[in-house]
Amino acid sequence: MDNEAILRKYKRRQRLIDILPVVALAALFAILVATVQSKGYRLDMYLKIVFNEGVVLAVVATGAVFIYTLGSFDISLGASTLFSATLGVMTYNATQSLPLMILVIFGVAVGCSLLSSVLASVFHIPVFVTTVAMMSVLSAIAAQIITTNGGAVGGISIPSALVKPLDNMGFKIAVLAVFWLICFFVFDFTKIGRKQKFLGGNPVCAQLTGIQVNKYAIIAFVMAGIGVGLGAFLTLVYTPSVTATTAGSIGMNIVVAIVFGGMPISGGPRSRIYSALVGGFSYILLNNILKLLIDSNIGYGVSQIVSAVFFLAVVYVTGLNYRSQMLPR
Amino acid sequence: MKTSKKIIGTLAIPVIVAAILLILCAASGKSMISSRTSFNYFVLYAAIVMITTMALSINLGSGRFDFSLGAMAVLASVLSAKLSYALLSGGAGSAVLMLCLNIVFGALLGLASGALYVTLRIPPIITSLGVTLIYEGITFTITGGKYVMNEVRNASMTAFAGNWYWPLLIIAVVLALIVYLFDHTRFGYDYKALQSGQKVAVNTGIREVPNAIWCYVICGALMGIVGFLNVARSSNINGGSLNFGSIGIMFTAFLPMFIGGYIGRFSNDKLGYLMAALCMSMLNSTFAAFSNEISASAQSIINAVLLVVFLIYLNNEGLLKKILSPKKA
Repeated sequence: MDNEAILRKYKRRQRLIDILPVVALAALFAILVATVQSKGYRLDMYLKIVFNEGVVLAVVATGAVFIYTLGSFDISLGASTLFSATLGVMTYNATQSLPLMILVIFGVAVGCSLLSSVLASVFHIPVFVTTVAMMSVLSAIAAQIITTNGGAVGGISIPSALVKPLDNMGFKIAVLAVFWLICFFVFDFTKIGRKQKFLGGNPVCAQLTGIQVNKYAIIAFVMAGIGVGLGAFLTLVYTPSVTATTAGSIGMNIVVAIVFGGMPISGGPRSRIYSALVGGFSYILLNNILKLLIDSNIGYGVSQIVSAVFFLAVVYVTGLNYRSQMLPR
Repeated sequence: MKTSKKIIGTLAIPVIVAAILLILCAASGKSMISSRTSFNYFVLYAAIVMITTMALSINLGSGRFDFSLGAMAVLASVLSAKLSYALLSGGAGSAVLMLCLNIVFGALLGLASGALYVTLRIPPIITSLGVTLIYEGITFTITGGKYVMNEVRNASMTAFAGNWYWPLLIIAVVLALIVYLFDHTRFGYDYKALQSGQKVAVNTGIREVPNAIWCYVICGALMGIVGFLNVARSSNINGGSLNFGSIGIMFTAFLPMFIGGYIGRFSNDKLGYLMAALCMSMLNSTFAAFSNEISASAQSIINAVLLVVFLIYLNNEGLLKKILSPKKA
């Protein structure tokens, strides 16, 4: 086979791999609809559940794409969401002011993100370890506040009437769409996105061309912080109370969602902003389908196993074109 | 390096930590280790931390991040608890049988994890996410999401947990074996070569795949021991961890891993992990002495702050020395 034929084959396979996550999302959506209807359940109710779970994950993961593009890894985003929501609720309960609550949520989310990035870039601490420490600190402080002010089980809350007008698909779709479009623009049409992809792909080369690592790392963490703030606010809109377990699984689900959406965990030029959106909703759809199909307590375990196997299979197929002779690290 | 400097460098951190904590306890009229029971737990916890740290560092040192360590420990414990109870009904020798089974199941789970990694050839961090979900799912399915208690509460286990010399024996055997395996065998030399230069090592003919699989098997066996020690410490196994709930076990090993690595400069990194584990166990015993004053949340915060402070020192050592050294005229 000549070089041109090999290149054509490679490109054909790459196109197929690129659309695979979107095809998987469409297929999972179709399966969910078919499963709900075959069981005679209310489809609108299930779609609402999937959307409400998916929108928070998609928003936080979309912001996190900027960090993952740099080849970094942030495990503290779930704890940061919990911490922002906790301080937001405390602020509202102290001042009865919704604008102030929103301001605090975003301020805290961006502040936490910035602190991680400053610790990592100024003190040269590995980003992952910094975020592990941040995760411990933020979840511990949030748990302490929640336990002291509302009890470990009931948690702390804001009046449901306050956020009820915002608890509708239209508002949430608008929030998701606006944030995603901003991220899409920054990521694909500005030098910020291009330089971040360059840094993720080849950090040494990128630095030698004069790109400032710290500057783009801080921008990435700020974008992730905005995503966390939105995620914390949408969480409160859906459930106006916060417990120590709120958003507990988001931190790791982000990684799964991004990879599920076809983005490599190593970041770089193959990073895609749509990965978080597609992967986030795919993962939530898959989990809900499995919950419907395996309807028992033990079913939670089985559905997690199936979900993990599906996840590994998708990652394996989407990475088919990038196999190296040596083991990947 | 002079022998005296090596000895001082190896013992300095544990001695300083012990001195600070003993002074703190004495100033408050408390005792770090007040009874034989608390000494038993001190040694048991040191064993848990040292072995977890070793397991974490084996793969992490080679750029392979493994989230599944905690899930491996829990699943190995559940399987061995069920099997040992079926064989001996909690009678004499149950603890020894369970320990042996834990090692075997841990090694097998590690083998499965390593085999998946070398077969799929996707980044180890992603493989480990999938494996974590699968192992947690299997544990949940076996236990029905409940605690395993009857199978592990027997006279044999109580006798093990009530005698400090058993965990001490485990520490000695594991330390000797790991030092032998990684510092005095061909496997260890290959491991170090692959660690410091993967491409060069592979090009010189070192077989990377078997080496990686053996690393996973060893990690699995070590986590099997950790699982057993955790059961001895808490007299139950939490079978209800889903959605990455088991990864917390791994985070306890970050601080000792960095402290151990630092101490290792003066002697051997494995000996460093033991010294670091002793420091962590002293801290844990002090927390227990101050349990009325320091909440669990505060303990998490203190641990995280210590991690960050130590890393700031570690990553800016050169700069600090430059600042603190007297300027030449």
